[in-house]
Amino acid sequence: MSDLVLQGVSKNFGGLRAVGDVSFTVKDRSIFGLIGPNGAGKTTVFNLITGVYKQDVGSITFAGKDLKPLKPAQIAAVGVARTFQNIRLFAQLTVIENLLVACELQKKAHLAAAVLRLSAHYEDEEQMNERAMELLRVFDLQDVAEEPSTSLPYGNQRRLEIARAMMLKPKLLLLDEPAAGMNYGEAEGLKTQIRWLRDTFDLSVVLVEHNMQVVMGVCEEIHVLDHGETIAHGNADEVRAHPKVLAAYLGEDDEEDAPRAGKAEMA
Amino acid sequence: MTKPAKRKSRLPLVAAGVLVVVLLLDFFLKSIIPDSSIRQLLMLAACNVLVALSLNIINGMAGQFSIGHAGFVGIGGYTSAVMASNLHASLGGGEVTFGKSFIVVPLCLCASAGVAGLFGFLVGLPSLRLKGDYLAIVTLGFAEIFRLVIATAQANDGTAKVGILAKIGSGLSSLGGQNGYQGLNNQGVPLYAGPFWVFGLAFVLGVVAWRIKFSGWGRALRALREDEIAGAAVGVDPTRYKVTSFVLAAVGAGIAGGLMAMMRDGTPTVNPDNYNFTASFDAITMVILGGSGSVTGSAIGGVFITFTIKAIELLQSSSVVQDLKRSIEGLDLNALRMIVYAMVLVALMILRPEGLLGERELFQKKPTKAPAKKADQA
Repeated sequence: MSDLVLQGVSKNFGGLRAVGDVSFTVKDRSIFGLIGPNGAGKTTVFNLITGVYKQDVGSITFAGKDLKPLKPAQIAAVGVARTFQNIRLFAQLTVIENLLVACELQKKAHLAAAVLRLSAHYEDEEQMNERAMELLRVFDLQDVAEEPSTSLPYGNQRRLEIARAMMLKPKLLLLDEPAAGMNYGEAEGLKTQIRWLRDTFDLSVVLVEHNMQVVMGVCEEIHVLDHGETIAHGNADEVRAHPKVLAAYLGEDDEEDAPRAGKAEMA
Repeated sequence: MTKPAKRKSRLPLVAAGVLVVVLLLDFFLKSIIPDSSIRQLLMLAACNVLVALSLNIINGMAGQFSIGHAGFVGIGGYTSAVMASNLHASLGGGEVTFGKSFIVVPLCLCASAGVAGLFGFLVGLPSLRLKGDYLAIVTLGFAEIFRLVIATAQANDGTAKVGILAKIGSGLSSLGGQNGYQGLNNQGVPLYAGPFWVFGLAFVLGVVAWRIKFSGWGRALRALREDEIAGAAVGVDPTRYKVTSFVLAAVGAGIAGGLMAMMRDGTPTVNPDNYNFTASFDAITMVILGGSGSVTGSAIGGVFITFTIKAIELLQSSSVVQDLKRSIEGLDLNALRMIVYAMVLVALMILRPEGLLGERELFQKKPTKAPAKKADQA
């Protein structure tokens, strides 16, 4: 069972509480939404899961394994892959190279084999190249495989990031605002793709997203954060009707919300 | 060289050709080029190519900034010089022959590579956890510490207690201090590395550098240079890759230093001043000039800078400059060299910030497609 379990997780940046006492469980093979207004701490939760930050209190376990002592690269090795809110591609590398970098963990042949050009090196490269091309076809990027990754239009860069994450053969995929900048049709396509990924590759997906069309349409369970704290949890209908969620998103007759409106999201 | 499995490659053929050429050079270079200073220049260029190739791993591919590369070259130089002198003595001294070089050179270079690599690990491990600027400071400090320790080490005059420190002190002082190490009993370092070794290794290590760049490991390193957080997120551990790259660069520098110390037609001494900041700066210029990240570019940079240094030296000794020197005291063209370099670098940064080749390679078949062949820049 590859469940992701967060228990009482808190993280402070100086005096600022970015995440406070958050607990939830992402069940194996489920699609889980993590939503909330800007600055709610959603991306911080992603950074805590992937080890970019370490929580001050609480525990994060994946498939029964405590993630706290692991470095980000080791967490990737356990099967947790992610994308980034502000796309992070390897700019100087081509599209296919971006994917091949994610193969380092699965390689059998190491540097010495590559320098000596042993047959293991060729087998590795061939296998990886095939898998990378396969994924590029899935994400409709096969024609730009040799292009520099930054020359792609925005939407393709987002898809390339997901393809790169998939190269890890993850059991858990964290998507940070994959629908940002997409129009209605593209967002509908994304919904299908997310479901297809889960079904084809047998993984769980956690989605941070502002696009409610996507979140409500695809997530089986939704967790709502505001000011780093849990305000609601449930399925789409439950969350949509929750008074605190409505208040957080639509504002309430309360001056407390006003200064927060323009605040940028945490890290 | 190991034969590449499967894929047919021109490499075995090229390697055999290079082997024949360097063998012939070893015996006949003297008759082809009677002027020993030109022979020295050519071999020095090959050694500097190795310096540039190794620095390119850390400054070009990994995107870190080391400004103390001469320290590792120096460690390699001293290690080989001391070991070659002792080996030469235990082989019975006498003539430096081509046959004996097959014992001396590989052993010495392995030792140089090992010691330099060890120091690379010790310096790299703590500093590479931090951001790039710190590495620059640490490497600069390390190179200067190395040079000054050797230059100022003095033998125990009897006043100090005989302990481990005193032993280390007297060991270091036997390296000759400021005057340089001149072999056992000041007989000079035996110069075993002929053109066979110098040009041959420049070719072999050039191929190695090329393959490192186009291996999965090199790709991961370049990815880290672009984005460490994204790299870690796909399982490439930044610290591990960066430390490995730093050790590899140190190993390469150690081999280059060892070759320089034992180079035929070179000076039979190793001097701490050969490894000062100017030498580190020269190495950086080679890499930046040729194109950071480019193997062939670094090689071109290495050759170019070696020749420029020599040209300025020749200019220095020309009668015109000598006359000028008599009239203007304190005229030093070596200082002028630093100004010229700085100007060239500034101009390069403005006009062509990526260097001559950028990250591209000469002889590259298809950009980034499955690693093509090899570099011929021996």
